[in-house]
This record gives sequence, C-alpha cells and structure tokens, in this order.
Amino acid sequence: MSKVAGGRNAPAAQPEYRVLVVDDDPDMVGFLARLLQSEGMAVETAADGASALSLVDATPPDLVLLDVMMPGASGFDVCRQLKGDEATALIPVVLVTSLEDSESRVRGIEAGADDFLSKPVKREELIARVKTLRRLHDTRKELESRRLTAEVQRKEAIRKAFSRYISPRLADRIAEAAGEQGDPFQGRAQRTNLVALFADLRGFTRLTEKNEVGEVVGMLNEYFGILTDAAYQHDGTIFNMAGDSLLVGFNVPFPQPDAAERAWHTALEMVGRFAPVAAAWHRRLGLDLGVGVGICAGEAIIGNVGSEHYASYTIIGNPVNTAARLMQMAAAGEVLICGPVFERIRHLLSGHRVDGRGDVALRGRSEPIPVFAVQAAAEASA
Amino acid sequence: MTNSNPTVTVAKDLADLIPVFFKNRHKELESLRGALAREDFEQLRHLGHRMKGVGTSYGFTTVSEIGKRIENGARGSDRNAIEACIGEYADYLSKVQVVYE
Repeated sequence: MSKVAGGRNAPAAQPEYRVLVVDDDPDMVGFLARLLQSEGMAVETAADGASALSLVDATPPDLVLLDVMMPGASGFDVCRQLKGDEATALIPVVLVTSLEDSESRVRGIEAGADDFLSKPVKREELIARVKTLRRLHDTRKELESRRLTAEVQRKEAIRKAFSRYISPRLADRIAEAAGEQGDPFQGRAQRTNLVALFADLRGFTRLTEKNEVGEVVGMLNEYFGILTDAAYQHDGTIFNMAGDSLLVGFNVPFPQPDAAERAWHTALEMVGRFAPVAAAWHRRLGLDLGVGVGICAGEAIIGNVGSEHYASYTIIGNPVNTAARLMQMAAAGEVLICGPVFERIRHLLSGHRVDGRGDVALRGRSEPIPVFAVQAAAEASA
Repeated sequence: MTNSNPTVTVAKDLADLIPVFFKNRHKELESLRGALAREDFEQLRHLGHRMKGVGTSYGFTTVSEIGKRIENGARGSDRNAIEACIGEYADYLSKVQVVYE
C-alpha cells in the first residue's frame, strides 16, 4: 500500500527534496511525514517493504526513512536491496528503529544503511540528521552537475577542434569516444589498412600566374570548400592541405568497411561539384581548370608525427605515396585508381569510361602496379 | 497507575494527528487484550515494541514506558505483568489530557 502524504504543509509545486517514509505504523508515518513537511520536504509513504521498493522504482526519492521491524521484508532486507541495485545504491537510507542492541546496528551497517534514528524519534534529531543528509545530497548533486558540465565542455572543445579537419559526424563520434576510449588522435603511431585519396587542381600554376593574390586565395577557398564538403559528406578525414592538393583518408581513425566505396563517391562529388565552378571561371577568366584524383589502398602508418613543438596527425606509407603519384598523372576530371581499390568499386563504375592502364611503374615503388583511369566528370555531367 | 490526571504537552503542528493517534491507541488496547486472552506473546511483544516507538515520538512518554514493559513481559511470557500493564494503559488512556503548544 502506498499513498502520497497530503498534509497541509505539503509543497504544491515540484518538490526539491523528496523523502520516502516506510513504516507499518500509521502513527509513526504521520508523525515523520508531518515533521519533514514542516521543513519544506515532500513526503511519500509506504507501509511495507514491497510497496517501498515499487515506489523507489517508479520515482526514486532523495532519501528513505526505513522502519526495521515490518511485516514481510524487514528494513534490513529493503535496505540491502536498495544498496545492491546500481540505480538506487546512492539514495541515502536512514534506518528508524527501536532496536537498541549493537547487533542490530551492525546488521544495519552491513545492509548499507547511511544513518540510524532511534525510536522514539526526537524532532530535533530527525531534522538535524535529515538536513545533514540533504546537504550531502545537494553537494553530491552539485559535484555531479559540475562534472557533467565539464565533460560536455571538454567534448565540445574536442568536437570544435577536430571539426576543422574531419566531418561533423566524425567529430561527434570522437567527442563521444573521448570519454570512453580516450582521444583517438593521441597515442602511439600504428600500422593500419586505409584508403588514401589525393586531389588537386589541374591548371593551378596558370591560375596563380594570371591572377591577383587576393583573387587566387578566394578561388582556392571556393575550390577547397567544395573538396572538403565532398570529403565530409562521406566521412573522410582530411590529413593534409597544401598548395592546391588535398589528402583524405578513409578507414581512419575509425573503421569504415566500405572505405573504398566512400573514397570513390568522394572523388565523384569533388569532380562533379567543381565542374560548374570551373566552367564559370573559364567563362570569366579563360582558365581551363579541373580536379584530378588518385586513390590507393594499403597498409600505412597513422599517428602524430613531428616534434615536441609541432606535430601533425597524418598518414604515411605506400598507399599515400601511390595516391599522390596517381593524382599527378590524372587529367582534369579523371580518377586514377590502384588495382585493389578498383576491384572493390568496379560494381559502381557502370556508366563511367574506364581505361585499364596496365601495370604502371611509379616512382618510389619497386614494382609496377595495375592502374585504372575512370572518367568521373562524364557521370557528373550526364 | 502513575498519575490520576496525567497531562501531556503536544506540539501544535501535530494537533490534527492526535485524534487518529488516540483512536489507534484504543484499537491497540483491544488488540493487547485479545492477544493476552490467546496468550499470543509474539503479538504482545510486537504491540509493546510499537507502543515503545510511537508514544514518546508524539510526547506520550507513558505509552512508551508501558510498551517497553509489555515487550519485556512478552519475552518472559509473564502473563500477570502484562495484564497489569494493560490495565494501567487503559486507565491512562481514559484520563490523559492533552495540551497543545
């Protein structure tokens, strides 16, 4: 049986501090409830252990005053259950008892009771003990609130810091993971399988020669805006931006089983979304510009590289170097792909013109590798 | 009998609880008599224990004192002692006066 003790002094609005009084003696319940209500606390009551546990489960109180000798489950049993449950373990429990022997106190302590109150209950003692527990409760809540605020601020700072380099979705994931697994951008460098995509601007040199600095910077910003948006669209991580080239990694720092597909779609977006901009520039400035892309997969090293004073989170290794070489070879609107990536994405290439270049010797590679040239722009303009 | 006209001072904010308190005490008295007739000492011990806890909480020290004696008497199955306590309790309840402050 349970009821809300209405009392004339019961606060009408949402109470700040809620006490559950559990006792099979209605006079004790009424007495305790009245004293607590006179202190501005909200009181719920239960006449036995089972009702008390149901009430706690439905709406966890801030404090439980628990009689020991009750029909059915004793106060010790109820206290033990509350303290054994992670969801209710932190709710303070005061055992209210006429049992004066030390053995009963020991049983209460073993059951997890936070404090004891002797029957007959003295008004001043009850109020003093409850107020002390309330102060502890408020302090704990305040500390928890500060901790949560600090945690939110820390995650927001991480998200902001990384959102310059990675997609907002990835930044959110990193901020989430920061509390559980630590910062994925820290720690020792490691080898991992990844897909590297390099993109650059064909005709960039002429652009810089023929235009004012301010105009060049504005055009580059527009160009990089398109490329980074495309990378973020497919959750790529931008590792480097230099001159007119952009290095994007996939499957890093979080696993992406479809990394090759993501890289291909990114390349398509880059070329396709830049095409109308290039056309406008052509009309305005007479420049022939376009994006060339190289994509390669393989094992590389990922980590922070640099000195104590300056370091960058980057990827190093064969797939990165090969992607760079392929990008250099790619014509405007062309995506050059190494063999393993081609095998992963060939099902996506219908409608695109594909030229097998055979095994190509690339500077820095000991053996020739199979290369495929895919026309992205044709699909984008189709 | 400790006092022919005992008077108890009770806090004003408990005043509206006192009629129910006395109603429950009279029920308790009947329960004590019934338990004694059955010689149900476990029930007598439980009732005495409850009286001990609730009496002084409200300001009725005598209720707690009698309750404690009933609890002890029940532990020793002392029928005569309990009978005397019940008589004392009935007398007390019939005479006690309440003053609110």
